[in-house]
Amino acid sequence: MNELAELQGAFQDYLISGGGAIHRRVLGTAQVPAEIRLGIYAGAYASRLAEALGANFPAMLRLMGEEDFNALARAYVAAHASTFFSIRHYGDRLAAFLASDPAYGEAPVLAELARWEWCVGLTFDAADATPLTHEVLAQVHPQQWAQLRLRWHPSVQRLDLHWNAPQIWQAVTEESEVPPVAFSQQAQPWLLWRQGLTTYFRSLPGTEAAVLDAGRQGGSFGELCTLLCAEVGDAAAPLQAATLLRSWVAAGLITDAD
Amino acid sequence: MLTRPSLGFGLGLRVDHYEAILAERPRVDWFEVLTENYLVPGGKPLNYLTRFRERYPLVMHGVSMSIGSTAPLDLEYLRQVKSLAARIEPAWISDHLCWTGVAGRNLHDLLPLPYTEEALAHVVARVGQVQELLGRRILLENVSSYVAYSASQLTEWEFLREVVVRADCLLLLDVNNIYVSSVNHGFDARTYLQHLPAERVQQIHLAGHEDHGSYLIDTHDHPVPDPVWQLYEAALRHCGPVATMIERDDNIPPLEELVGELDQARQLSARVLNAPPATMPLAAQRAGMPAGAAAP
Ligand SMILES: [Fe+2]
Repeated sequence: MNELAELQGAFQDYLISGGGAIHRRVLGTAQVPAEIRLGIYAGAYASRLAEALGANFPAMLRLMGEEDFNALARAYVAAHASTFFSIRHYGDRLAAFLASDPAYGEAPVLAELARWEWCVGLTFDAADATPLTHEVLAQVHPQQWAQLRLRWHPSVQRLDLHWNAPQIWQAVTEESEVPPVAFSQQAQPWLLWRQGLTTYFRSLPGTEAAVLDAGRQGGSFGELCTLLCAEVGDAAAPLQAATLLRSWVAAGLITDAD
Repeated sequence: MLTRPSLGFGLGLRVDHYEAILAERPRVDWFEVLTENYLVPGGKPLNYLTRFRERYPLVMHGVSMSIGSTAPLDLEYLRQVKSLAARIEPAWISDHLCWTGVAGRNLHDLLPLPYTEEALAHVVARVGQVQELLGRRILLENVSSYVAYSASQLTEWEFLREVVVRADCLLLLDVNNIYVSSVNHGFDARTYLQHLPAERVQQIHLAGHEDHGSYLIDTHDHPVPDPVWQLYEAALRHCGPVATMIERDDNIPPLEELVGELDQARQLSARVLNAPPATMPLAAQRAGMPAGAAAP
């Protein structure tokens, strides 16, 4: 299989990094020389991946405009080949690329926007699961409550962001007026999830974020209550724990409690 | 007979048409779905797919099997293809006679193989593995190409024929791809067609391309042009009735327009094969009207 493997290696090397070993294996004609023939593939390779990035980051494309986004996409394509069987997953490292590339150092909101938009995409086609109902939860015996562990819907994602990326994303997506870029020293916790086929997101108060994170890491309801006591005091904790749980169930965030 | 009976006339399922298909129930006999678009855990894509499956026969068409690659077969990919197939029960599963990458990379392009005995043996063995894994015969599609390799010993049609016969798989004949490659490489498209094993042609793709003067590019962004219709006619004479669909991936027009174009394929097929089109409304047939004009 040496010949075939060598040919494929040389062709791939040409497409990804412009290597020249493929040229001697390709025949041209008087009308269309080999150089042009190979160039069709090289052009298609870069533009297909750049186009896929635009499809995977539609709000970034719209916000940056064709020209600037295309420059970003070409740079990303040059830095990252795809390792995915579905082109839908190409771009998983765009946020990291933006954060590390000095060319984008002046617009740090872009890295967070990419992170946000990628998460929106993951929520969109995350696995389905049947949410737990209030009725089922009501049947839990009072003595079992402290040991109860919550199971979260597979679409749930948590992000902490310093920039107003979600607001910008929403405005761009809804084609309304885009708010000015804003930074906050303290990171704002965000929650993304899907209920049925609809994607939702909201910002979280710090206390809720801490308790929700603990719950997603497998903390029992008793442990979540202890955490709440430390945050809001013993008197307010029980009611607040019940309120949080009720709102999570209502939003379809919880699929099971055992 | 190796193939299943023709499913009639289909279209590629595209997101742009989702709502129109559900609302209008267009006269399309079946849809071809792009496999990779539905290899996702859940949410809207699979939800829609289930709804389409309740209304139409589906066939699965993939782009990442990379049957000709010297890299090992992606078993995780094949496992997911098999599980999607178990979920939607497609009439068949197809991919392309090409390679798409080596060393863990996916170039997301359908790259041509050299037509050598070495490549032939390699592909035949891999098709065997895939068919064993999926538990069914697969269809392989001829791709458009822009390069020819100095290593090639066979013509493209000899290679294609040998692959499907030796591997005992089926053929998805892309008539536009034959035409595009015939212009790009200067061979006779009808000679190509005539050498193919008609009994293994399960499906036909029709599409448009872009003319760059000295070469053509397979863009799927135009209506089916005349030379492709003419070649389709020759394909029908060679193969008999074959499930036919129109591929449109860019400049996607409203659904009615593609349904109208598909009616052209129906009528051409009916004329060539001398039988009335299967799903033309009876009233329209009596009135001698084209089916496209009879729809409300
Ligand atoms: Fe095709």
